[in-house]
Amino acid sequence: MFIDVNTYIGHWPFRQVGNNTAEELVKLMDEEGIDMACVSNINSIFYRNVQDGNEELAEEVKPYNNRLIPFAIINPAYPGWEKDFKRCIDELGMKGLELYPSYHQYSLTDSTAVELLNMAADRNIPVHLPCAIENLRQRHWLDTKEDLSADSVKQVLALCPNTNFIITNGPTHSIASYLQTASVDRQGKVYYDFCRVDMLNSTFDRFVEAVGADRVVFGSVMPLQYLETQFVKLQFSKLGNEDKEKIMYKNLKELLKL
Amino acid sequence: MAYIIEIFIVLEVSYCLLKEGKRLKNFEEKMNLFKNNKVVNWHEHVWFKPGTKELNEEGCDKLVETASQVYMDYLVCSLPIPGGMPGPDDIRLCNDTVAKAMKRYPKMIKGMAFINPGYTREALDEIDRCINELGMLGIKLYNHYFASDPIVRPIIEKCIDLDIPMLYHAGKLTVHPESQPFLSNGVHFAKAAKEYPEAVIIHGHIGGGGDWHWSLKAMSDCPNVFTDISGSVHDAGIIETTYKMMGADRMLFATDGTFSTGIGKLLGADIPDSDKVKILNNSRFAKYLERGN
Repeated sequence: MFIDVNTYIGHWPFRQVGNNTAEELVKLMDEEGIDMACVSNINSIFYRNVQDGNEELAEEVKPYNNRLIPFAIINPAYPGWEKDFKRCIDELGMKGLELYPSYHQYSLTDSTAVELLNMAADRNIPVHLPCAIENLRQRHWLDTKEDLSADSVKQVLALCPNTNFIITNGPTHSIASYLQTASVDRQGKVYYDFCRVDMLNSTFDRFVEAVGADRVVFGSVMPLQYLETQFVKLQFSKLGNEDKEKIMYKNLKELLKL
Repeated sequence: MAYIIEIFIVLEVSYCLLKEGKRLKNFEEKMNLFKNNKVVNWHEHVWFKPGTKELNEEGCDKLVETASQVYMDYLVCSLPIPGGMPGPDDIRLCNDTVAKAMKRYPKMIKGMAFINPGYTREALDEIDRCINELGMLGIKLYNHYFASDPIVRPIIEKCIDLDIPMLYHAGKLTVHPESQPFLSNGVHFAKAAKEYPEAVIIHGHIGGGGDWHWSLKAMSDCPNVFTDISGSVHDAGIIETTYKMMGADRMLFATDGTFSTGIGKLLGADIPDSDKVKILNNSRFAKYLERGN
């Protein structure tokens, strides 16, 4: 079984991307053998009003509620964010929160962001922090010019000690190492994907050993990236089956109470 | 009631195992493409042991071990010095170190000679030494000069004379381009290729970071420019677009330090398997490989 923590629907404005509706995403998941996926709507990143994208997401995933797990993108620097958050979680039944500080131009340590992160902890839902959507070196001239700041994550780990975080699509092996001390003595947990951790020199296996198999999850960035890139690491890893299963689905199943 | 729950759990676990088995089988089937065909990795590196000027033997061993695990037959390696202006002595040391790796794994590791066009006479002599004495297959150029810079012309002419390919570090950086001010992109390759249509120029790592559409559009009409598919960028569509714009005959399999993306993007691409096989072992480059044996 596979649960993918990082997938999207919606329009990516900087290059042509297919399979970006809920229906197409599920078809792709069927072809690739992915059972369930956490999904957010890219439109929420680019609409001024993120909530319009969240409403679209809720509507699109309705026929696939046993496959797609909606995550709400909230902009805590925009009026009405508390109402958006409550609507997404309490009324639309979304299972997680997803934040894009560099796109929405705020810092994770801003007071409203911290308040939002603590609200997520109060409702016991995880916060997904993608480091990036596309590689920094190829960004379109209208795209952001920075990735998620590991330093700001370090600060919010202390400011929001009960919040569970999932960090994906970045140099998670070095970020995990940087956050190691800040991650202990917290009630909340920090999970990492291995999307950009390679297999050469056993880097992937060493990453899992360093972070712990209990803290690693599977994330592909479908449909923006190839999925096979992730499978090949698991296929040739020397990790035991128990650890692989945790990474493939068990950790997310437990975290999201599926 | 407990009995019914137990049956339900058993059924659920069986279903999961069945699904898992199906997926692993599918991926194993995809890997048969590597297992059942000759795989030439045209862009890899060996390095110095940190803090020394000696071959990092452990790194070299791990490279070969992982490559063997994923069914690669050949690793075409170089040891470039990025940035700065490496002199002839530094460059000879790099190439001697690659030669040591070739001796360590003669069946698998082939060499590409690192060259700095800034030292013309020494560069030409070094090409002769590496090709004729050390048995290397071609040359590797980095980001010291644009591919279209006139200073590179004698190097290109030498490669034409010897009938060897040039692998050129490349990319169109849109963020922090100042980090590599003389990094060649498709526009530079097109200019050099049109000036020297007999040259065989390989654009390094189309997924090596940067605007890959830019480079593909710029060089798609130059039949003597090829690209390797390596690089950590594995955007869905990068292989399909390269295939559409350049064709499988002008694509070379490679990994450049990131095996999972090199393998994954080829396996994941929606192009015919027969063309994937071509990319894994591009027949137009077979003669270069044969010379190294």
